Amino acid sequence: MSSAFQFYVTTLLIYAGVDILAAWGLNLQFGTAGLLSFAFIVFQAAGAYTAGVLALGPQTDNGGYQHYIGGYALPFPIPILAAMAVGAVIAVPIGLIALRRLRSDYQAVALLVVSIIASSIATNETELFNGAAGISLVPHPLADQFGGDLLTYQWFYVGFTAAVCLVAYLIVHRVTHSPLGRAFRAMRDNEQAASALAKDITGLRLLAFAIGGALGALSGAILVLFIGTWAPSAWLYPETFVLLAAIIVGGTNNSLGTVVGVLLVPIGFAEGSRFLPEIGHPGLIDAGQWIAIGLMLLIFLWFRPQGILPERKHRYANDGRLVTVLDELAGWLRRSLALIQRSSR
Amino acid sequence: MPYLLGPSIGFGLVTASILALAAVGFTMQFGVTNILNLAYGEVMATSGFVALIVNRAGLSIWFGMAAAAVFGAALSYLLNRVIFIPFARRGTKLFGMVIVTIAVGLILENSILAITGPNFFSYIVPQESTYSVGFLILTTSQIVLMGLATLAMIAVHSLLRLTRLGMAMRATASDASLARGCGIRTERIVDAGWLISGAMCGIAGVALFINTTSFTSATANSFLVVIVAAAILGGVGQPYGAMLGALVIGLTSEIAAAFLNPAYKNVVAFVILVVVLLLRPQGILAQIAVQREIAR
Repeated sequence: MSSAFQFYVTTLLIYAGVDILAAWGLNLQFGTAGLLSFAFIVFQAAGAYTAGVLALGPQTDNGGYQHYIGGYALPFPIPILAAMAVGAVIAVPIGLIALRRLRSDYQAVALLVVSIIASSIATNETELFNGAAGISLVPHPLADQFGGDLLTYQWFYVGFTAAVCLVAYLIVHRVTHSPLGRAFRAMRDNEQAASALAKDITGLRLLAFAIGGALGALSGAILVLFIGTWAPSAWLYPETFVLLAAIIVGGTNNSLGTVVGVLLVPIGFAEGSRFLPEIGHPGLIDAGQWIAIGLMLLIFLWFRPQGILPERKHRYANDGRLVTVLDELAGWLRRSLALIQRSSR
Repeated sequence: MPYLLGPSIGFGLVTASILALAAVGFTMQFGVTNILNLAYGEVMATSGFVALIVNRAGLSIWFGMAAAAVFGAALSYLLNRVIFIPFARRGTKLFGMVIVTIAVGLILENSILAITGPNFFSYIVPQESTYSVGFLILTTSQIVLMGLATLAMIAVHSLLRLTRLGMAMRATASDASLARGCGIRTERIVDAGWLISGAMCGIAGVALFINTTSFTSATANSFLVVIVAAAILGGVGQPYGAMLGALVIGLTSEIAAAFLNPAYKNVVAFVILVVVLLLRPQGILAQIAVQREIAR
């Protein structure tokens, strides 16, 4: 492979990893817990900003041309972990504003509003967030270990992103297959019934928000440490719809389906259109992309609302154990045998 | 009075007028159909561009506004018939419907963008003269817009209170199945709801574009959240609440723009919304309105 092509492939793989992490976070909130989380991009942006400013040196670096909070030049894993913590923590105020006592469609609007407030504040508070310019020159983690060999570093970062994705998958799997995950789904399917079974709805919502928010922040952190820049205009609320489209296309509340959706919607579209010739006015291809995303949403909601890989339904035995395919098969055999015995008698 | 207060109240009243047109249309449709239509901003934009075509053809912008009203009504009616109702029949719930409306909005907005390109447009409006009314200084088109909004509010009030259609709409909004049981053809009422709200949406789109003087395919969509804020502030589905919400948000956002950072104009409105949602999630007027409905 030529090195230019390797750069392209590695960058694409990292973007895919970032989008998959983010989509898993949103899927936990939207697919599993049933929260129409239109402010999801705020978690990603906050995580990205946190990781960026913690990895950056003091504000006086590089001639002091940008303002930001922090600037502690912290070593590698700390900015990412801190970003996750911030993602989980900001879930609490956002959740308390938007999720308490509101109808689900009001919640959606309230969260949309939160997203817009956040981006206006980030754009206008030049002293805090450096305004629309955002931050740049965020150092790449562990880059000094590679002695300027950029291509090897790219592959290293691909491996790192993949490892993070694997860990995140295990965590998401653990959460969705735990009693907590069951409570999330109960809340999604019938809030009143879940509440009648003494499930604390507000607590569950906040928890889903926090876990999904931490994942979103993680994805943002990985992205910003890779590309080295952060600007509020890249994190506007329509970006949430792209992830939402990926989830709906891939399969709501199915982690592998989400991966398929991400590979099709953000990665497939963004990259597919890269190879289109420049036709018409600038922005035409961009508009076409959004039209295609809208059409894809409608087509999937109409023909296959469950997505390409639908959610797997779990059954539980009386002792609370998960009924697997093998159990079903054994039960079916046992019943057939009993039937044969009875008829032969 | 501080010297900025007068003009900002003037701007606030104009914004409130546009907002009232849009929010009352939005909330009436929501009340009757229970669909939170996030494609509303894009219907405004599409109608606004229809008015642009009429205006560019050499007709006055007020003809353009009439055309936009007709177009907005037709587009809303068609969207409901061709997309929203079939989805609802197929079992898409409130939640999924919000996503359907977003998808429709994305398609509409980006279709305009694909046709017009990322350019700024403006209507040809006749020479404006300014009038000072008390401490307010207003242009001709601003006065016309305010008058128009006032007329529309009176029309909505008369429709809801004095006509059989309005009564049927209120009945459908408060309990659709009960209304059907009483022999109201709710399907027709829903159609009427979309037509009326679409017409108001078209008028509001042109009003918004006249007031912002230059606009793109995305202008109306960024205004949508303010509209929804006004509607929720008053209690969604409550036309009188939406009027009040529009007045509150229009005035506070313009006054805030004059005295704080203008970039925070909408943020102030949203903060009011968030506070209201925390203290009175049902909106300002919901309780009063519900009691009034019972008393009749």
